[in-house]
Amino acid sequence: MNNYFISRDNFFKFLENLKSEYDVFVPVKSHDQRFYKKYESQTDDILVGEVRPFEPLKAFFTRAREVVAEDFKNEIPHSNDKPIAIVGVKACDLKGFKVQDFVFNDSELQDPFYIKNRTENLIISADCTCVIETCFCVALGIQPHPKDNFDLNLSEQDNGFLVEVGSEKGNDLVKKYSSLFDKPEQKQIKKREELRNKISSSAENNLKESGVPHQDNFQNIIETNYESDIWADEAKTCVECGACTIICPTCHCFLLYDQKDDEKMRRLRVWDSCMIKDYARVAGGANPRPKLFMRLRNRFEKKFDFFPKVANLYACTGCGRCISACPAKIDIRKVLKRLVENARNK
Amino acid sequence: MHGINNPYRPIESRVIDVITETPTIKTIRLKPKEPITFKTGQFVELTVPGVGEAPFTPSSRPSQHDILELTIMKVGKVTEKIHELKKDDIVGVRGPMGKGYPVDSFKGKEVLVVGGGCGFAPLRSLMYELFERSGELKKLYFRGGCKTSQELLYKEEMGEWLERKDLNMKLTVDKGAPDWKGSVGVVTTILDDVKMDFSKGIAVVCGPPIAMKFSTKKLLEMGFKPKNIYLSMEKNMSCGIGKCGHCRIGIYYACKDGPVFTYDQIKDFHEIWD
Repeated sequence: MNNYFISRDNFFKFLENLKSEYDVFVPVKSHDQRFYKKYESQTDDILVGEVRPFEPLKAFFTRAREVVAEDFKNEIPHSNDKPIAIVGVKACDLKGFKVQDFVFNDSELQDPFYIKNRTENLIISADCTCVIETCFCVALGIQPHPKDNFDLNLSEQDNGFLVEVGSEKGNDLVKKYSSLFDKPEQKQIKKREELRNKISSSAENNLKESGVPHQDNFQNIIETNYESDIWADEAKTCVECGACTIICPTCHCFLLYDQKDDEKMRRLRVWDSCMIKDYARVAGGANPRPKLFMRLRNRFEKKFDFFPKVANLYACTGCGRCISACPAKIDIRKVLKRLVENARNK
Repeated sequence: MHGINNPYRPIESRVIDVITETPTIKTIRLKPKEPITFKTGQFVELTVPGVGEAPFTPSSRPSQHDILELTIMKVGKVTEKIHELKKDDIVGVRGPMGKGYPVDSFKGKEVLVVGGGCGFAPLRSLMYELFERSGELKKLYFRGGCKTSQELLYKEEMGEWLERKDLNMKLTVDKGAPDWKGSVGVVTTILDDVKMDFSKGIAVVCGPPIAMKFSTKKLLEMGFKPKNIYLSMEKNMSCGIGKCGHCRIGIYYACKDGPVFTYDQIKDFHEIWD
């Protein structure tokens, strides 16, 4: 699709304009932490490039806690909220959409909350401009620059960005604010390719250093290793906090719970974690996974066995968030490496 | 967002009767404000306002659209509150969900229905449906078991079923009592006099996991094909639409792909009876 150039000054004017239609969220970096912040005005902490923020993109599409029904009314709660524009989304998080779309935008059983957000929200993604130690997206077949699933994509240039249009919605915005966008120069396109190649090879180097196997080796690693000691060994330090699943861009499980106050009844949906003991327990007492190692195995089974079978994709984006989030230092790369090696030796 | 169906909202329903079946099991008769049409074997989520919801397969006649009956054992937080319900209380119902029994495919076949304990509830609805179609079936067997005669569900109806000409029926209890005239022993002990071409027969099993496990084992020994054994899987169904993740069995979700599965569909998955 079409490419444009936007200067840094015009980029902030563009965000300013977007505020009338959207709640705009931008990535910021502060004290070495990367997270999203609601955009109010141009500040120094805004950082479009580098790598994904710590929060997963899914938080803008299925919220960590939201009301999904009130009383017996069919209306969709908070359906009049302003849509959200998210800036600086990275390629790994865009892959998360493929999993979330499969779950919530099922052709037969659709989730109206997710669909509304997916239809109305705006994605302004960006190329990664560096790689951090935990990055392993290339093992999952992802390049650290977005290829699809965005409305506009930004590639850092001297004093601005090269803008790639990825959707009708993105195209309309460029047309609407055409005075802010310029024709790109050939050397800018060339620079984008150079930068992308550079970041891709540092991502590849990351893999080599950590020895993470490529996804081509993942076939049957769960079934082959089902009875292996790897699970119990890896689960030894797990504290069952659920951080790995909460922070994961592909994990989608939730819990419904009901509240009643002042005669008003509310049904809430909150993120849930399959690592928690009672996750699959039924009221009668049966629990298919009473032991922690079974739940760790189940987490990997869902990602590396269930999703490839039902949706033809691994539910991992290589974003590395679960590695940073785990207080017990359970490292998904190491687990995958052990599974692949053990399967090979069988 | 008008015209869009909110899959999480329950339909307001009035309790029109509460029947005490056993010391721990009650049947709740409900009148939903909007008709809920279900196929036998499908389930609904019953909401106790402000407390929560839990999944149940209706035990009533599928052709009766205005009234829903749910037979419920008191086992947890929600069911405890359900057991406190009285006539005219307001509750909520979501559903129906999942896929029911493929009764159309039973046409011209010999059918064996095996039930244990609270598993009689979904099976009563299935039996109603099969009685209405009894002309279509080659033969119909019912074999049911429960712990004691005190815990037998639908006692009066069971007596009537025993009289039916279109049904070969036997009941058993784990522990006998002076007033009990039927067999004593687990349900698998009363399957031996079932006579049919097992390789073509249909078997339907519903009951506690342990009863399903051993019944399935026995049915396979008798010669039933894994694809002809229908099982109702009890999992932690919550959203009911394959989104929340809790009720996964292998590549399926019990809520949307089940709760009725053939043994063939799930036999290779782990943890199915747990």
